[in-house]
Amino acid sequence: MNELNFKSPTFFERLKGMLGVDFYRLFHTPMFYIFLGIAAIIPAMILGTMGMENPQTGATAAPLYTNVWHIIAAEMPLYVVKNIADYAHMNMVFIFGGIMISIFIGHDYKSGYVKQLFTTHAKKQDYILSKTIVGAFSMACMCVTYLLGAVGAGLFTGISIKINVSSLVIAIISKMIMSLGWASLYTFLNIIFRRYFGVSIVSCFFFGTGILIIGAAAIFGNSSVLNIFLYGSSVYACLSSNIITLLVCLVCSVVWTLIYTIAGTRILSKCDVY
Amino acid sequence: MNAIEIKGLTKNFKEKQALCGLDMTVPVGAIYGFIGENGSGKSTTEKIICGLIQKSSGSVKLFGKEHTDPDIRARLGVLIEAPGCFSNMSVWNNMMLQAANLDIHNAEQEVVKVLKLVRMEGAAGNKYKNCSLGMKQRIGIAMALLGNPTLLVLDEPINGLDADGMRIMREVLINIAKSGTTVVISSHILGELEKIATHYGIIRNGKMIKEMTAAELNADCRTYVALQTKDLSRTKAILSCKYSRVEEDEAGYIRVFDTVTPEEIVSYLYENGIVIKEIGTAKIGLEEYYIDLMEGK
Repeated sequence: MNELNFKSPTFFERLKGMLGVDFYRLFHTPMFYIFLGIAAIIPAMILGTMGMENPQTGATAAPLYTNVWHIIAAEMPLYVVKNIADYAHMNMVFIFGGIMISIFIGHDYKSGYVKQLFTTHAKKQDYILSKTIVGAFSMACMCVTYLLGAVGAGLFTGISIKINVSSLVIAIISKMIMSLGWASLYTFLNIIFRRYFGVSIVSCFFFGTGILIIGAAAIFGNSSVLNIFLYGSSVYACLSSNIITLLVCLVCSVVWTLIYTIAGTRILSKCDVY
Repeated sequence: MNAIEIKGLTKNFKEKQALCGLDMTVPVGAIYGFIGENGSGKSTTEKIICGLIQKSSGSVKLFGKEHTDPDIRARLGVLIEAPGCFSNMSVWNNMMLQAANLDIHNAEQEVVKVLKLVRMEGAAGNKYKNCSLGMKQRIGIAMALLGNPTLLVLDEPINGLDADGMRIMREVLINIAKSGTTVVISSHILGELEKIATHYGIIRNGKMIKEMTAAELNADCRTYVALQTKDLSRTKAILSCKYSRVEEDEAGYIRVFDTVTPEEIVSYLYENGIVIKEIGTAKIGLEEYYIDLMEGK
């Protein structure tokens, strides 16, 4: 018999196919919409309940924020958390995103879909990239619903809405850009703990909280060196952002995405998939 | 050229050695029945062929190329254990997702074609989780057939199928093998496998202990004389005095595996006052051949 000739699709054809599948799954899973809802409800709840009267004592709690937009980001990049107000802003989206990506990738393994996928021409690198892009898109969408929830509730609180609009826009866009880096971290963690769904979720939550950077800042001070890390750059995207902030976030996000994608591909290529 | 050529394949899971220098050759266009006990290494071998797990050492070539070659991978159809489908999605959507993974351009027609092949077109709208075990197996086969694979690797595909499902599967596999597709199929239902396989590989403790064609198997299968009398236990006792291997089967027949003709047995039993109700010669099937091989007979 003559030698058989085969033709496999190009990288872009493969990635396009895989992204099509992952986006289809994303839009057809209730989980995505639930997380979008959570991202909208959390800031609305924080702002909406702020300054409410205690029905037993009649006392009014001191408001967490003096400006509506503090629920999006702090005035200045504060890596050290002194109170909950310093922490409760749009970066929480990255925690929700981590849990969502864990469930999304966990489902690939639980259903045996990866087995179906990796017996085709699909490459490990395509899989990681596709999950990262879909995860980043989900978190960027959560940033939008978070903003809508915050603005909606903010209108009822009566606190100041004064803001430098360009800084606010840059901060939001920067955080959306950071979604890519965070998604690559979560994809990487899920690749490492692919056989242990619970550990994947817990690890994503742990890293998503930025506790390591908060701890480092508590020890070493509020240093801008921390911007080289995902949480550091996410905090750096604050209400006093400028074009430098945007660039820092872009570089940090892309570099970490490259690192995690290469590392994840190597791990997945050297280990048993299923 | 062979569809699969494996040499000295080993796989270690921590301290357990699942495959110990396995050799395997599957010619192009064959239906290769891959047989072995549970834990003998069948699934591990198939998973290595499909690229799901890494080999520890040895070489695995598919159509003369490394098994990791993406060009080759694009031509594989696989069903390992159960199909990898999302339970909350419909059969149709699951099929379409796999078609997208395979970059099939006329996906809808292809999905309809393979669903029709396995007689599952009526269940396309059903949610996967609502399908029976047999239906899921057929969906898995349909998924493996997407994109006209050149090599089909099926792990226990007929488990859970009813008689009709098995007949359909038989027809499908024979037809696709006729079109030049190579099929590797592992199963414990040896009677079914015997009806379709053109080649066999018998694995034990991670080593291939025998590879042969269906014709070689047929030649290897021993002939025996089967007989039935009114008093089976007495007949067996009398026959055992003269012949070395006399067995009673589940259907109530006595089998004599020694080189002997029915006439000789009739004459011997007549001398001992036993009347024979029925007597004839037959050959052992794959199942018995396999059991004999495992027991070292």
